[in-house]
Amino acid sequence: MSEGPSRWHTTGSLARALAVGGFGVAVALTVGRPAVVVLVGPLVVLASLALLGKPTREPRVLPGLAHVQLYEGQGTRSWLEMSGTEDTEHVTRVLAQEPFVALHPVGGAVLSRTDDVGPIEISPRRWGERRVGTEKVAMTSPWAGYRWGPVQLPGREMFVLPAVTRMRSGGEAPQPIGLIGAHRSRREGGGTEFSSIRAFHSGDRLRRINWRVSLRQGTLHVESTRAEEDTAVLLIVDAMADYGVSEGIDAAQSSLDVTVRAAANIADQYLGGGDRVSLRVLSPGGEYAGYGTGTRHLRRILGLLARIRPGIPRDVSIEQVDFRATAGTVVVVISPMLSPELAIATVRLVRRGLPVIVVDPLPPGSTPTVHPDPAAQVAQLAWRMRLLDRSHLLSQLAAAGCPVVPWNGPRTLEEVLRRLARRSQLPRIGV
Amino acid sequence: MRLSAARSVWVVRAVGLLGLLVGLLAGIPEGYTPSLAVVAVVLLGGVLGAFRPDHLGVSMTLAVVLVWWAIKLHTQVPAGTLAAAAGLVTAHVAGTLLSYGPRFMPIPAEVVRLWAVRGLLVWLAAPVVWFVARVYADHATPTSYWLAGLTAALMGAVVAAVVVPTRGGD
Repeated sequence: MSEGPSRWHTTGSLARALAVGGFGVAVALTVGRPAVVVLVGPLVVLASLALLGKPTREPRVLPGLAHVQLYEGQGTRSWLEMSGTEDTEHVTRVLAQEPFVALHPVGGAVLSRTDDVGPIEISPRRWGERRVGTEKVAMTSPWAGYRWGPVQLPGREMFVLPAVTRMRSGGEAPQPIGLIGAHRSRREGGGTEFSSIRAFHSGDRLRRINWRVSLRQGTLHVESTRAEEDTAVLLIVDAMADYGVSEGIDAAQSSLDVTVRAAANIADQYLGGGDRVSLRVLSPGGEYAGYGTGTRHLRRILGLLARIRPGIPRDVSIEQVDFRATAGTVVVVISPMLSPELAIATVRLVRRGLPVIVVDPLPPGSTPTVHPDPAAQVAQLAWRMRLLDRSHLLSQLAAAGCPVVPWNGPRTLEEVLRRLARRSQLPRIGV
Repeated sequence: MRLSAARSVWVVRAVGLLGLLVGLLAGIPEGYTPSLAVVAVVLLGGVLGAFRPDHLGVSMTLAVVLVWWAIKLHTQVPAGTLAAAAGLVTAHVAGTLLSYGPRFMPIPAEVVRLWAVRGLLVWLAAPVVWFVARVYADHATPTSYWLAGLTAALMGAVVAAVVVPTRGGD
């Protein structure tokens, strides 16, 4: 960081002491005013001491960052690795103020002795791609006679993952079709939940025999249980626009903030329960993750969510998107439903017999960002019309059998899924 | 985001401004009262120094104080010059502290203490000069003394100019 010409130069303090001291001495000697020497004597001494502290070597500094991937709201530390600082006394560090990145001390500026440079704490407040750790460093020689820098040190790109509330209850899957899992299946199998008492068949386990019923009936009867299976969950994330104001975690949320955090929480819950989760983002980037399980898959999904940039999908219309939802898949559409195309695609999924839930991430009172101009009133009127269209779309979705729920935290889906499960267990009449 | 100045910065600004005013007004008890115009100029320079400590105007304001003292005094060396010297050192040290970083950076108490001690130590040069000047106040000073002093000062200036590198030089 310190190759090339010297970055040491005189400070304003030394220049002032030299100029005023020299001027005072000159005045005193030319017009014979000893009192002026009394006035500037301390400044002359100060300037002399500062000149004596002239550094002879160039310091080297390298920035360090403890973590390069964090969840929003978490914190890390930025420090400096320095060498060749024998001639220096103080270090000034000023970190660049990036949007949605909190710094401690406030402002990210620290003045400290060279032998005791403390770290600066950094905390990203919103998911997404953030550049952190860009800073300017300056050093001063003893008596503040010379300053090195300020030198700009580059920061690092950080993918801030959406915050996840660890809660192991994703709600009951209505039609689980899979292998071993935690959801109660409609078919009988080796689970724990009681289903019925029936006559003994060959292959039944002896410990399942209900002796009381068998003695009463005269033939062997066994207790049957429901199978427990995993399920597939498809998350459809509408990132075509962002409505409302985003102020970071624990503050005002925009619609995209709610969308991303809701998707992250739902993925975490189902993956934590051993289910398969897929992600499809409707955005220009078209982020997609196939069905997968486990912690690694969760990290992948969170990473994709952190990369989202809102906008209309390129090269493909929503009607043409293949959502890859097989029978029994729980489909969660997180969307403010301001796009009729997505509403139509959702109804199509409902008509395929899939359990579909729409999570509404639009914060109350949110408005789109419009430039303040004379047309602002027109924009407000247009927005109100969009909201009327939206409420009409939502009621149509509900009528089609697709529940619409606002996002209220990780337990949002529980009650809805329970109702859907109950509905799926009711006898159906084929037409 | 525009950050406001730290509280310690406001304190140092106020102390610097006060120091500059003390540098000018320290002679009032002994009858050396500056005109309102001079006070206003110094006040403006002090305000400038509080917000732009490295501005050339700050050095010029200090020079105005020196010139005013040079005009008011002839061979007298009143005790008020000691207080004035303390005021000027305080203003200079405050400017040094303010120029360490941006205005929103708090100035640590440790650094303030270090510079307070340094300021006090360098101020001790003032009583020494004051004492020497008082001792020789009644003696006629040969012209050769003043010429020798001027030559020494010029040589000091030349040495300083050689030692001090220009910006971006070396």
